[in-house]
Amino acid sequence: MITRWLLRRLARSVDDRLRTAPVVRRVLAAVFPDHWSFMLGEIALYSFVVLVLTGVFLTLFFAPSTADTVYTGAYAPLDGARTSAAYASTVRLSFDIRAGLLMRQSHHWAALLFVGAIVLHLLRIFFTGAFRRPREMNWLIGVTMLALALFNGFTGYSIPDDLLSGTGLRILYSVTQSIPLVGEWLVFLAAGGEFPTDEMVPRMFVSHVLLVPAVLAALIAIHLGILIRQKHSQFPGPGRTENNVVGSLFWPSYTVRTLALFAWVLAVTFALGGLAQINPVWIYGPFDPAQATSPAQPDWYVAWGDGALRLFPAVEFRIFGQLVPSPFLPGVVFGGLTFAGLYLWPFLDRRHGRDRLAHQLLDPPRAHPARLGFGVAVLALFAVLLAAAADDVIATILRVPVLDVLAILRVLALALPVPAGVTAYLVARALRANGGRGVGDLTRADVRSAGRLVCVGSPVGGAPTGIGTPEGTAEPVDADRVELWRDRTGLWRWRYRGASVSLTANRAYPSRAEAERAARTAYGDLSVWEVAPPGGRPGAPAAVAARAGRAAGRVGGYLALAAVAFWRARRDRRR
Amino acid sequence: MTGTEAGPARRIGVILAVLGLAAGPVPLSASAAPTPVPPDTSAAVPGGLVSPATPGAGPGSSAPPSATDPARSRGADLFLRSCASCHGPRGEGTQRGPSLVGVGPASVDFQLSTGRMPLDQEAAQPPHRRPAFSAADIQAIVGHVGSFGGGGPQIPTVGPGDLREGRELFLAHCAACHSAAGVGATLTNGLVAPSLDRSTPVQVAEAIRVGPGLMPAFPESILSPAQVDAVASYVQHLRGDRLDRGGASLGRLGPMTEGLVAWVVGLALLVGVARWLGSRAGR
Amino acid sequence: MTGRDAPDRRERPASAIAAAAFGVSVLGAAGFAAVYAAGGQTQLEGLTLAVAFAGIAFGLSVWARRLLPTGGYVEEHEPFDSRPTDLRLAAEALTGPESPVRRRGLLTMLALALGALGGAALFPLRSLLPFDRVRPVHALRTTPWAAGVRLVRADGTPVRPADVPDGSVLTVFPEGHRDRGDVPAFAVRLDPARFTVPPSGGEVAGVVVHSLLCTHAGCPVALYLQGTARVLCPCHQSTFDLLAGARPIAGPASRALPGLPITVDADGYLVATGDFTAPPGAGFWSLK
Repeated sequence: MITRWLLRRLARSVDDRLRTAPVVRRVLAAVFPDHWSFMLGEIALYSFVVLVLTGVFLTLFFAPSTADTVYTGAYAPLDGARTSAAYASTVRLSFDIRAGLLMRQSHHWAALLFVGAIVLHLLRIFFTGAFRRPREMNWLIGVTMLALALFNGFTGYSIPDDLLSGTGLRILYSVTQSIPLVGEWLVFLAAGGEFPTDEMVPRMFVSHVLLVPAVLAALIAIHLGILIRQKHSQFPGPGRTENNVVGSLFWPSYTVRTLALFAWVLAVTFALGGLAQINPVWIYGPFDPAQATSPAQPDWYVAWGDGALRLFPAVEFRIFGQLVPSPFLPGVVFGGLTFAGLYLWPFLDRRHGRDRLAHQLLDPPRAHPARLGFGVAVLALFAVLLAAAADDVIATILRVPVLDVLAILRVLALALPVPAGVTAYLVARALRANGGRGVGDLTRADVRSAGRLVCVGSPVGGAPTGIGTPEGTAEPVDADRVELWRDRTGLWRWRYRGASVSLTANRAYPSRAEAERAARTAYGDLSVWEVAPPGGRPGAPAAVAARAGRAAGRVGGYLALAAVAFWRARRDRRR
Repeated sequence: MTGTEAGPARRIGVILAVLGLAAGPVPLSASAAPTPVPPDTSAAVPGGLVSPATPGAGPGSSAPPSATDPARSRGADLFLRSCASCHGPRGEGTQRGPSLVGVGPASVDFQLSTGRMPLDQEAAQPPHRRPAFSAADIQAIVGHVGSFGGGGPQIPTVGPGDLREGRELFLAHCAACHSAAGVGATLTNGLVAPSLDRSTPVQVAEAIRVGPGLMPAFPESILSPAQVDAVASYVQHLRGDRLDRGGASLGRLGPMTEGLVAWVVGLALLVGVARWLGSRAGR
Repeated sequence: MTGRDAPDRRERPASAIAAAAFGVSVLGAAGFAAVYAAGGQTQLEGLTLAVAFAGIAFGLSVWARRLLPTGGYVEEHEPFDSRPTDLRLAAEALTGPESPVRRRGLLTMLALALGALGGAALFPLRSLLPFDRVRPVHALRTTPWAAGVRLVRADGTPVRPADVPDGSVLTVFPEGHRDRGDVPAFAVRLDPARFTVPPSGGEVAGVVVHSLLCTHAGCPVALYLQGTARVLCPCHQSTFDLLAGARPIAGPASRALPGLPITVDADGYLVATGDFTAPPGAGFWSLK
């Protein structure tokens, strides 16, 4: 009761000064489509928040310098040793600062989850065609954020100045140095001299904690701003058209759901951070250009590059007498092609499908066999590259010669992607031909006939369903109609009645005309019926709010009871 | 909205179980978890240092000549029974096994006390196993092999060493092959630098001096006895989970296993949660 | 607070579960505080904090799934094609009579000024390069190894040929340059009769010295395989045969490890007679 009164007072006084009510009303009532895969990006977002929170803690204790320092502290094998300030402070964070190791490890786990969630989010968008017009801009921003996340992950992994990451940094230096013509100048510009320099750690630190996070935060804001402006895309379904969004309300359904996800991300990162050891730099020792540890790998999100370096044959050649070193092709060219492909994809896809229309409805992955096949082929290649980065670990565990593992992976890198892609392509075609059936229901004959269709000469890639006609517009069935009514407070509301679903409009309108215009925007030329107010819908916003309030009250009550019990117990004990 | 409570409860159980598995053998107390030390060799003192009062693996540092008659006959007996078929009755070597003349007590003791010898079948690289003989029997065989011809490194006496120096030397000389974490790594042809997780101080010192297999030997011109003591002490410190302050070690195999855990545990859990959140209760 | 209208029967277990989960979260948070205050222990800290967040997460999840509606709403999505009048008015506002767009001459000069400023702003980038040192190409090509420079171990002690043992390898540095990245080398004793290609740096009593840095990506090739006289790189598994002039025999490296020409000085210590036979480490454009 008091809470509600306070809230109302606060809202009123804010509104008096900023006139927020119309905006708040719209935002709270926004509809967000329901599908679990739409929450993958949120996992990335919340991992970023965890990274910022734990990272702020770490910056307070980390010394970004390679100055000679004597470590004194709880880690006996380093006690009294001379190392760089960066390494000493990282060990101090791990051994001598309370909760320091938890924060360090949670930060590192959150980084692994951050990039992983970005990749999953990217795959969802790729396979459902969500990058198509009007969302190309958000795809480009997303790919940029992926690149920044990779870069920031690498600098974060490198700044503790330990033996393992120092070796990785040396590899990155060598790869950059391999660029024809400018490589030598680039590495000197970036590192301030010949590897290793004293400038590297402070420069990477500034980039890691200031430059890149600031750019990332700005891009996230733009990414979300564009998302809100364009509204979220949705899968086709009953009552869903190119001109509406069907789902749950932002307030309260998605607010609670997304906060739950935030808390889950925090729970998982801290559970991993406390229970699973990650990057134990105290064991790896400080960096020394003459020392090495093996197995030597980078974090998984850059390991595909390391895998490419391992797999690629020893090819070094000269142009006009100048050397093009062996890391250039697998390191620079392959990495460059990967990101160029990602950046160009929406435009390549548009050309290939001759599809320039704006889309709010997503493709189910099977609807676009060529895209699916291409994506699966690329994924297969990257899986092989990741395995190649672990070739020495695989060889150690299996006790087989590492060069044999490498040879097998080389063959797989060439032989696996195409069959994997073709299989995915054929399965998608068979699924499309068979309508609603799942992968499990497909028979061999289905796939074979899909293959035969290709051979006979139907267009490879299949014309996407969106050409010519607006995709998935609700077929006008007899049962389909829009109902309008005037509720008890005199406001106008409407809903869509389909054969299988009934969808309530997310807002109330002051006039019949406005309500009708909204309904016509969402459902085109469907017939509009004025009806009597339908019976109290259980999920109507007011009821929902009341119920949420009750639950909150209940929870508060329990907490208060617990607090009182605790306080009493304490008082009793004191006596 | 008719969801049963069993659903979420069971799933939470599964999640907790997965987390538990991920955590593995979590060292809830970082303080001295006693390291299991095979009884045949010197005992490790809780601090990870080796007591100077317990000399090497039984035979003593100046072993062979002082071996008594019964021991020699016992040694000869065991040698003929378990070793001679490959190494020859006088240790001269055969096609199946190398000559043992002049290999030195350290080498024999290392091979026997780590259970690498005797071999039941030929292997490119015999693994570390439980020793086939008791400490006394190993001492007897070492004495007997010593009678084939002199020379070779003696069994080193290992004393307590400086941990910091040990760490520095380990990283400079050992980490490239055995990994900074002591878990070993692959070499060529399927051979591995073995994990040091079961190596006692004396075995470490013997391996340093002898250089078994592909391993380089480190004579006193490279590592002084005090430095060997330091390395042996640090290896004891690396053993077990004492240094795994951060939780489950994940095999100390580095970023690839960490990435695997991030996907298989972290992201799988979060995607599972997203699916669960996105589904309607009672459906 | 909650007694006014009796909640739906189905809601009761759900809200009880959520409330219990929040209660568990309180316990987790209190546990975290207690563990921290008691001196801290990483696993317990992580576990308690995770319980605290998982409690909130689970409670909110139950709340969202059981107490809040899923789906059932629709919002209209207006097409993004602006009305023609809007387009025309926007264009007029941009290019109207007072619009700066019409001042060609002014704009050209402004663009020139901004361009010049942008160009000038590039100059401070030069500060990122080392000013006092040599050009990158020269720095990458040369190392402090030179004629008369003694080979020393990591601890700074000089090396006699006899100090390089059979079957082992010794990491060496030029005296006074222990920490530079391009100098590490290793000395190894081999049987001169086994050389199939003479070592590029020559040998002194069977001792040969090569750069420790892999010619692929610069990692230290610190895995010495005794007996086979090969060294292996831990990063990408390039293998070099020391008996054949340290030439690569497997992996992605394609140039031999540079040799260090050596001799013995008057005091019997190993000294270099010059720089490496080729620039050490990874390749670059102007590597000759």
